[in-house]
Parts: sequence; C-alpha cells; structure tokens
Amino acid sequence: MDNPLSKTVLVIDDDRDIREVAKASLELVGGFTVLTAESGSRGLLVAQEAKPDAIILDLMMPEMDGQETLAQLKRDPGTACIPVIMLTAKVRAQKQDLVHRGNAAGILLKPFDPMLLSRQVCEILGWISSATEEGAGDSATR
Amino acid sequence: MTQQRGEEEVRATLEKVWLESRPQALERVATLERLAEAIRLGAPDQESREIALAAAHRLSGALGVFGFGEASCCAAEIESLLAGGLPPDGATFAQLVARLRTLLEEAGAQNTAQMEKRNT
Repeated sequence: MDNPLSKTVLVIDDDRDIREVAKASLELVGGFTVLTAESGSRGLLVAQEAKPDAIILDLMMPEMDGQETLAQLKRDPGTACIPVIMLTAKVRAQKQDLVHRGNAAGILLKPFDPMLLSRQVCEILGWISSATEEGAGDSATR
Repeated sequence: MTQQRGEEEVRATLEKVWLESRPQALERVATLERLAEAIRLGAPDQESREIALAAAHRLSGALGVFGFGEASCCAAEIESLLAGGLPPDGATFAQLVARLRTLLEEAGAQNTAQMEKRNT
C-alpha cells in the first residue's frame, strides 16, 4: 500500500478556480504535494520535468484537450507510466468507454467535493484501502 | 496537520477563491443573458453560442466545487441545451438563465452572511 503523503500530483485544468480548489484540497486534506498547469501543452512540460506520481487532467480544454494531452503523455516513454485521472463533467453516459479508450486510470466527475477529492484519488490509484472510505462519490476506476 | 484542520483550511480557501471569482461568474451569466436576448431577437450567431457554451461549462464545474449545487445543476442544464447544436428554445433558455442569476445572487448573499457570522 502506497503512502499518499509522499506523492506528488499534477493538476492540469484551464479553469483557475478548479486548479486552486483542487490544489488546496489535495494539499490540505490529502497531504499531497501538488503541481498545477493551465493547459495541456504546459502540463506535458511539467509532467516531463517533475515526473509526478499521478496526473489529474481536465477533459475539456481549449487548444490541446484532455484526450490529446493524455495521448501525448502515453506516447512519451518518460511519462507513459504516470497514472492519469480524467476530470470531466461529461462522462455519465460514456464513462467506461472513455476510460478504456483513453488509457486513463479513472474518472473524476466535475464538480467534485473538495473534501472528498483526495479520497477519490487514493481510491482510484489504490494508494489507500477503499474499504475504509465512505462516500467517495462519483469516481470510476479502470 | 489534522484532517479537521485541513478541511477548515480548505473551506477558507474556497471562500477566498469564490470571492475572487464571483465577479467573473456573474460576467459569465451576463454572457448567457446576452445570448438569451439574441435568441429572443432571433439572431444568435455561432460564435456567441460557443462563447456561451464555454461559460455555462465553466459555471457548471466551478459553482458545484464551491458548494452551490443547485446553481451548478442549472448551469449544466444550460450547457446541455447549448451543446445540443440546434438553437435552444428561447423561453426555456431565458428562464434557466434568469434562475441561474437568482441562484448566484443568493449564493453571494449566503456566502457574505457566513463570513460575517464567522468574523463576529
């Protein structure tokens, strides 16, 4: 079982509000070290440089969207092994399909509950036992 | 840091970010209101629709994160209408946008009251 306190998570989202809230939530509740990027292209650079333990990636972004960013992360041998959790509001009907097609580790629905975000991330990535968690909300693991 | 302390700090961060973001959220509602007016006049152009769709999408995500669930659902409904491709029904669209404006103003008042309560 991995200890989430030693983990670094990269949040890629073009919405500043989401980045700030996710960062605060993951740092203050989850104890992670959090990096952020405001675009897919910037996220790729940060991922290549910092090699985070996981990436939370917004699906709908202008220019390079989440699917394309995910594809590039998986093509690069330096980042291919980093688990990526897709963050999106548009998954209820296509949740599993997106996970399987895109090689994502899981899905988080937006809006997320800031108090539960860390739990959901841990649950998806197996960093803590999901059996001890309650009410982890809308998440889907691969 | 205890879990409770962490959650308190997250709440404080949420308040801070919301206060900073509220003017932009209201501007996004104004974008939707302009589209509602354009639909009423029968002249919504594609660019306005796309800008409004992006505004509704962001409102839907952010408002829910800040704890304004009803406003988030309302914005999601607007987003869904706009994402449909065809021009949305004008009356329904306008009603939803007006509802979103009301919910956002209530959210602002509620937030201010909570902050004042904490500071007394």
